[in-house]
Amino acid sequence: MINDKNSRKIADIIQDFSRKHSLFMLAYGTGCGAIEIPPTTTSRYDAERFGIRGMATPRQADVLLITGYLATKTLKRVIRAYEQMQDPKYVIGFGSCTINGGMYWDSYNTVKILSDYIPVDVYINGCMPRPEAVITGFIELQNLIKEGKANGAEQYKENLEWYRENQRKVIKNWKMPDYNW
Amino acid sequence: MTDKILEKEQQLVQLLEQTFKNCTGKVVRERRVSVSVEKELIPSVLSYAKSQLGYIHLSHMSCVDWIEKNKFEIIYILWSPADKVQLFVKTMVNRENAEIDNIDMIWKQANTYEREIREMYGIQFNGLVGAQEFILEDWEDMPPMRRDFDTIEFVDDNFTFRKGREDAGNVREEIIKRSGEEIPDFAKKYSRD
Amino acid sequence: MLLAFVVGVFYGGFVRKITARVQNRVGPPVYQNFLDILKLYSKKTAINHGWMQHLGPAFAITASVTSLMFIPILNGTGWCVWFENLNFKGDLIFLLYMMVFGSLGMALGAGQTGNPNSAIGVSRGLSQMVGYEIPWVLAIVALMLQTKTTSLTGLVDFQVSNGTWMMFESPFAFIAAVLAMLGMFHYAPFDVPFAPSELSSGPASEFGGKYLALMMSSGSIFSFVKLVLIVDVFLGGAANLIMLVVKTFTLYMIPVLYGIVSPRYRTEQSIRYFWGWPTFFGIVGVIYAVFVR
Repeated sequence: MINDKNSRKIADIIQDFSRKHSLFMLAYGTGCGAIEIPPTTTSRYDAERFGIRGMATPRQADVLLITGYLATKTLKRVIRAYEQMQDPKYVIGFGSCTINGGMYWDSYNTVKILSDYIPVDVYINGCMPRPEAVITGFIELQNLIKEGKANGAEQYKENLEWYRENQRKVIKNWKMPDYNW
Repeated sequence: MTDKILEKEQQLVQLLEQTFKNCTGKVVRERRVSVSVEKELIPSVLSYAKSQLGYIHLSHMSCVDWIEKNKFEIIYILWSPADKVQLFVKTMVNRENAEIDNIDMIWKQANTYEREIREMYGIQFNGLVGAQEFILEDWEDMPPMRRDFDTIEFVDDNFTFRKGREDAGNVREEIIKRSGEEIPDFAKKYSRD
Repeated sequence: MLLAFVVGVFYGGFVRKITARVQNRVGPPVYQNFLDILKLYSKKTAINHGWMQHLGPAFAITASVTSLMFIPILNGTGWCVWFENLNFKGDLIFLLYMMVFGSLGMALGAGQTGNPNSAIGVSRGLSQMVGYEIPWVLAIVALMLQTKTTSLTGLVDFQVSNGTWMMFESPFAFIAAVLAMLGMFHYAPFDVPFAPSELSSGPASEFGGKYLALMMSSGSIFSFVKLVLIVDVFLGGAANLIMLVVKTFTLYMIPVLYGIVSPRYRTEQSIRYFWGWPTFFGIVGVIYAVFVR
């Protein structure tokens, strides 16, 4: 994928069109914001008309939704799930707990800024965001894909050392497979 | 008239005070009775309440940290569906080398509550069988619910906040300023300054 | 083959749109499945667990394409020369075998991954297949006994020359075949192997990217193949493309509409269903074919 806008070939444009109109999200709720995912995908605020469906495993999914706070125990498992997804992958952070700690700013067990540990493409504001806000977030992600700017996965590969250092500072018992793709 | 309604509760207090020594009881309100005993008598009081008095349900076990008196207080909350009265059984435990017998054999759900208290407060239960880690993973510091564990210091050591948002300020002070009241002393310790 | 792919994938999109309308919401656009397959093909990294996992989807798509080659899609003159495909005597029995081969391929590919979810999904899927194969084979056997040929073109010619559809000639076999068809499409209520909430998608749980795209394409082609087979055998083939589309679509609506409103059967419940009424109708159809005609 090429980053600057001047040299986007036709193949990239077609690929991006297909990627942005069929986002598969991992149907897993990490925090208390997961309660906003079912209303978004059912009949009233339909998210399937944008091509968004829920898939069951990280191997089949494109988008990882981090909905709400992340305890350090969950962070280890989320990192494993993120590394099992295939390129190109995107991460959306819901709620104010991913932005600056939110309601749990003085808790000993949650992480405060999410993009120190996992590259995040889009943040959605709110505690919890309403389904209309969630769909607006997805459309924002679609616009970023169209312009070619949604490359959190490549940032992760390039700055792997920095991310790993941050992760190890918080997760003390590190027994994880190496990231080799 | 109120005496007639609180008859069950007062009978309960008298019965418990007569049966066990050094036991002081109090009727808090209708349907709630609170009893304090020593920690060695806890298993006998609880099994007596369960088998003879009909308090067959352990709703919860909880713990309070009295740092001024240098003691922990463990509270057992029992419920009797026949009389519909809630019974609080309270004990005091020393803060250094805290230990007490476990009551796993009387109610099975006490296993979970005791493991949580052991992890969060550091009280040892004699004979408790269960994995050491319960909710927190790889935790090496002091048990975090004790009052001398400084959460703000811990967060400042291990996590960072986003730059450029220091002007978000202290919400509590803002509210106080707009409503014109004073912050009490015990709440001042938890401000963001 | 391109026709089968395009029509099959469009049917998938139509099914999603109809499901959405039944559930009182607007669904994705009808070309959505094309976009899904295109996106899955353009994933950049491919994660696999060994050479068998490459072979699994390859088997599946081989099975569908081979079955496609043996079915006369259109009869009559004119278009015949493009769609006549390869036929020989006894190809009906060959088709019965090929359709099983596809599931075998997916089972092998899933077994290599070592994920326990895949293993459970595969075992459930294969045991369900034991269920629906029996009424299907009985229906086909009844047909073969009645018309005394075992080739598909023979069956189609029989219908064209006699002027009636097989549906009316041997109604019991038709009922058995339609009830078995509900299970063949792996659509609710018989979708225990593939359900996302049951076992995190069963056999397909370790396939991502290109393998999943192959599975989706092969699934679409395969459903088209089965539809055309039933249309040829029971509803008299189709003389031109429009009639083909109309007939297959009407036939496809039976499992789809039944499936939208049904919950899922467990494996043993579905096997018990298939060995009940559909087998009964199949046996009655065989007896009818032997003794009455």
